[in-house]
Amino acid sequence: MQNKRAIFGAKGLPYLLLAPQLIITAIFFLWPAGQAIWQSFLREDAFGIKTTFVALENYSRLFADPSYLNALKVTVVFALSTAALSMGVALVLALAVDRTLRSARIYSTLLIWPYAVAPAVAGVLWWFMFNPTIGILPYLLKGVGYGWNHALDRGDAMTLVVISAAWKQISYNFLFFVAGLQAIPASLREAAAIDGAGPVRRFWTITLPLLSPTTFFLLVVTIVYTMFDTFGVIDAITEGGPAQSTNILVYKVYQDGFVGLNLGSSAAQSVVLMGIVIVLTVIQFRFVERRVNY
Amino acid sequence: MATLTLESLGKTYDSGASAVSGINIDVADGEFLVLVGPSGCGKSTLLRMIAGLETVTHGSIRIGPREVNRLEPADRDIAMVFQNYALYPHMSVRENLSYGLRNRRMARAEITRRVEEAARILEIGDFLERKPRALSGGQRQRVAMGRAIVREPSVFLFDEPLSNLDAKLRVTMRGEIRNLQKRLGTTSVYVTHDQLEAMTLADRLVVLRAGKVEQIGTPLEVYQRPASTFVAEFIGSPAMNLLDGVMEHGRLAIGTATMRLPDAHCGPVRVGVRAEDLRAVPGGTQGALPVRLSYVEELGSQRLGHFDCAGARLIAAFPSGQGLSEEMALMADPEALHLFGADGMRLT
Ligand SMILES: Nc1ncnc2c1ncn2[C@@H]1O[C@H](COP(=O)(O)OP(=O)(O)OP(=O)(O)O)[C@@H](O)[C@H]1O
Ligand SMILES: [Mg+2]
Repeated sequence: MQNKRAIFGAKGLPYLLLAPQLIITAIFFLWPAGQAIWQSFLREDAFGIKTTFVALENYSRLFADPSYLNALKVTVVFALSTAALSMGVALVLALAVDRTLRSARIYSTLLIWPYAVAPAVAGVLWWFMFNPTIGILPYLLKGVGYGWNHALDRGDAMTLVVISAAWKQISYNFLFFVAGLQAIPASLREAAAIDGAGPVRRFWTITLPLLSPTTFFLLVVTIVYTMFDTFGVIDAITEGGPAQSTNILVYKVYQDGFVGLNLGSSAAQSVVLMGIVIVLTVIQFRFVERRVNY
Repeated sequence: MATLTLESLGKTYDSGASAVSGINIDVADGEFLVLVGPSGCGKSTLLRMIAGLETVTHGSIRIGPREVNRLEPADRDIAMVFQNYALYPHMSVRENLSYGLRNRRMARAEITRRVEEAARILEIGDFLERKPRALSGGQRQRVAMGRAIVREPSVFLFDEPLSNLDAKLRVTMRGEIRNLQKRLGTTSVYVTHDQLEAMTLADRLVVLRAGKVEQIGTPLEVYQRPASTFVAEFIGSPAMNLLDGVMEHGRLAIGTATMRLPDAHCGPVRVGVRAEDLRAVPGGTQGALPVRLSYVEELGSQRLGHFDCAGARLIAAFPSGQGLSEEMALMADPEALHLFGADGMRLT
């Protein structure tokens, strides 16, 4: 291994080859991130003429602001519900595929398609299906006596964005769960069957614990996805409404910054989000290296 | 404790491939039966059918008086030791041993008693709280055995349980399995492709070939009277020598050598002779085979001479001190010869 380093004779060559990636990272990530951090210490007056340095005041205001705390709560509910729904459904589908693997090709391919759909398009799709006036599902729900209206009802709105966001992520989780299940030797399940564990007990005591590294990985990935990648879903379906009930953090950054033009607060919010993703990533690497549970 | 009866048992996989067929075996209570045969002959399939891990497509399996064809593996009262041990990696050794008992809602105290007992017998008491990945291969093997014995089942099933161990450990574990089985007196079916393991473990031996029973018998019976050239070559090491010969009017001719044989058969035959039944004689002796030495294998206790006999290969065993020369004559007693027909089946 050590000798292989000698391939690069010139000292500068490795840096030259890395340059495109480094430049892209610097221009599109490091520079804006630095800007955001700097901006989060500033405040502009109402007309955008004067800028003053206010140190951490944007942050202290943020955490005293009920609408921000609401957004935080909404985000937690949204992220956990989406993770639970998308992972739960993905796991059930993966278990079904794992049982009958030979005929599972077509089935798997179909299940992967939603992942290729852009979040905004997925949002519009579900928005149509759940449209209170023209949608098919409110019509069916009316049949069982439920008046669906996500434009007015906070619960309906949250349910709809969770379904739309989860639907897209199911494919991804499904693929990982199938791979995870395949990695569990059949003889373990056979041994458990001989040991008197029925299918349900086998699932809870053997399959699920052995799947825990996959599950943990997907939990973090899905939470990161719901916190950052679901902007399109929210924007296409509810725009954060009704009454802020689906206004998640990333959408609020956009609303306060680009719509409300409160750049200092928006920047502070971005920095908080950045902090959250860094923490999640660190947890991810720590645990994946150590392998959860066994 | 129970007998195990297989009656015209057969298995055809969904793909249409017939893995085993027409198996009739009675295993007595407490007997140690070994299934042996080359790779792909259907040993595992047969064992897994008994365990209930493969469906039965023909015939029936009875444990004691009870037909178990349609019972779930858990309800058959069997325990199985897998080739890769199949220990639950996320459970400690203690949890691995007690899992089957907890699933059956056995009382806590009884579980503890049985686990401690098994740990004592198998000498794994020191690492009951460890996870399997922190054990050596031999220790894992013992845990896998322990998981089978705590259940106190009617039948033990083993699928090549020693094939992942090194040669020395394999010999030790072989002895331990044998002793344990005798002590517990549990009916056992053991699968292996290693003929030596089969010979040393078995009360009775079943030689399988392409999904069919080729011969059933005690290790000595199978060794001394192989039912076919297939068994003759498979059981015993070095493999039995097989030469082409012709029988005519009570005389056997192999190449230029002829000898009297009290056998009424006429026509071409395959003649089998074990390496240890051949001895060196002076050239020109009536009935001796002229051979040319190709090389010698020193085994310490004895030496194996590899010879060329008119184009056929021949192996003979000699005491370690005996000198061997380039051109020799070898001979065996008529009683030591095995005659097989053109179809490979034993003639007498
Ligand atoms: N699931 C299956 N579907 C179709 N054919 C199978 C299946 N499992 C095994 N077979 C075939 O059945 C035959 C017997 O297989 P089996 O695993 O019982 O052999 P074996 O004697 O245990 O061999 P080995 O010593 O290599 O373990 C083989 O020809 C194999 O290809
Ligand atoms: Mg096998």
